[in-house]
Amino acid sequence: MSSHGNASTASDPRQPSAAEPFVQQSVAPQDPPVDYSGFIAVMFGVAGVMFRYKLCSWVAIIFFAQSLANMRNFETDLKQVSMALMNKLNG
Amino acid sequence: MENGPCYSLLHLLALLSLLSIFLSHLSRFHVLADSHFEGFDADGEDDDESLIHNTLPLRSSPLTQSDPDPEPTPDPTSQDPDANQYSEPPSRPSSSSDLPKPSSTSFEYWDEDEFEGLPVEQPPLETPKIPENATPDDPSSDPKTAPKPIAATSPKSYTVEIVCGSFLIVFAINYFTGKRENENIALAWAVKFASKDSIFDKNFSLLGVGDGDDSPLLLKEGQNVFKFHASGRRYCQGLLATMELKSRHDLISRMYNLVVPCSDEISFEVYMNDDAMDHLVFAVAKKKAAKWMQKEIRDLQRFANMVSPPSGRKWVAEELAVISESKEVAGDLITEVVLEQVFGEKAFEKFGKGFISIHFSDQQPGTHKKMLLFKFALPDANSMADMTRLVALVPYYIDLVGRYRLSTQARSKTEITRMKIAQEAHREEQNARQEALQRKKAERKKLLEEAESKLGAEAIKRKEAKERARQMKKSMPRVKMTRAH
Repeated sequence: MSSHGNASTASDPRQPSAAEPFVQQSVAPQDPPVDYSGFIAVMFGVAGVMFRYKLCSWVAIIFFAQSLANMRNFETDLKQVSMALMNKLNG
Repeated sequence: MENGPCYSLLHLLALLSLLSIFLSHLSRFHVLADSHFEGFDADGEDDDESLIHNTLPLRSSPLTQSDPDPEPTPDPTSQDPDANQYSEPPSRPSSSSDLPKPSSTSFEYWDEDEFEGLPVEQPPLETPKIPENATPDDPSSDPKTAPKPIAATSPKSYTVEIVCGSFLIVFAINYFTGKRENENIALAWAVKFASKDSIFDKNFSLLGVGDGDDSPLLLKEGQNVFKFHASGRRYCQGLLATMELKSRHDLISRMYNLVVPCSDEISFEVYMNDDAMDHLVFAVAKKKAAKWMQKEIRDLQRFANMVSPPSGRKWVAEELAVISESKEVAGDLITEVVLEQVFGEKAFEKFGKGFISIHFSDQQPGTHKKMLLFKFALPDANSMADMTRLVALVPYYIDLVGRYRLSTQARSKTEITRMKIAQEAHREEQNARQEALQRKKAERKKLLEEAESKLGAEAIKRKEAKERARQMKKSMPRVKMTRAH
């Protein structure tokens, strides 16, 4: 009870033998975290193309930028590039 | 890959958009080409003598315009042979930019004479290049007939582009500044608590997320999530600290956080050894959060209840609530040291601002059953020292829980409750399995019935066909009889 974290006195709490290396939890590819901003970007992009509304295309580009900013671990690159192309052509 | 259908959908969308754009471009060129034909057919009807000198540059200009067209071949066929001889030589050496200027004056004749349909496409394309034109016709016809190509030059329609472009620029700037800010906070924490001779260094032998001595301390999982791993201590297998900072890099989230408050959080997960933790379900949090936890979190819901402050001893500050299986356990885990340092009235006022919750349980859902969870709010990068006492709770409680053993009475109670719950869980599993089996049986029955009904339908069809054939036979002799008549 008395020795909590006192490295110098009797009990050093460290146990190098019990050390385990860090194992990164790999995200199961079946269930990636939902990319709301990417989804909204696609919706606006499609609406911008269908209705020829410039504002829609610009909003789509903005949300696409947000999804890029929130991207983790550089996943689904092709998806982002194709969305960028679509938006540039329309906006 | 996993996003197969999404990939195909997106590719389809991209292709559709490309197609639509190409079609629109093609349609524009189509209209241009058609107007040339109209103009040239009408040319042939006019007197060549009077108009030859004037028409020379004109006819050559449509040629130059038609050059970018995808359909150059019909043009020579529609032109008169005379005009061809005159028009072709000047068109070749001259560039497209030179020709429209000398032909500008002759366009007035064209506009006035007959070809009102023609100039729809041509003058709007050339008047932006030709500021010399002072005729009243062209400017009047331009806004009416062709607003679209000119609209790009008028200042009104640029507002959308300017606003969105500036937003994107600000977004980009904010991305880099926010990213740096988050990194600074994470590094400040690591410097204070995970570097040499810091609290974690004294408690754990292996720090960081890599192998060897020079392993990086923090793992960056996204611009606002950082992880820190430590291992090599008694009673526990390891510790994982996750810092979830505000999304400072994302301008839209930042604006959202102005409305909906958010704070930087750090959560510690300590994975206890199987032999180090007794039957414990215990939590401390602020009152509202405690109520929510007791309702939502599974093991707290099943095993533990809110504990009222016992009389006769010091207890946690008023703002906090304790959830535990039994008062005895709660009392044992909230020691005097802890009250003095963090949870007591006075201490909590000073040091407890960053405290969010702690949750110890040996019945966690998931792979690791025995875990201690600590959640604190992160202070500024400059005031990391405010957290020292909170962070000191972590190794203290690892030791405390590691050594703690329930008394026999408490143990028996906990064992009874756990047995019950284990039985219930077993029953639920059995029920689930039975339901699954029943569903499979029902599906098989449906398939069989459909097959039978199909067979039945075929039999019915045959019968119907036979009946029709009979009817036809019956009707046929009548027809013959009438024919005979």
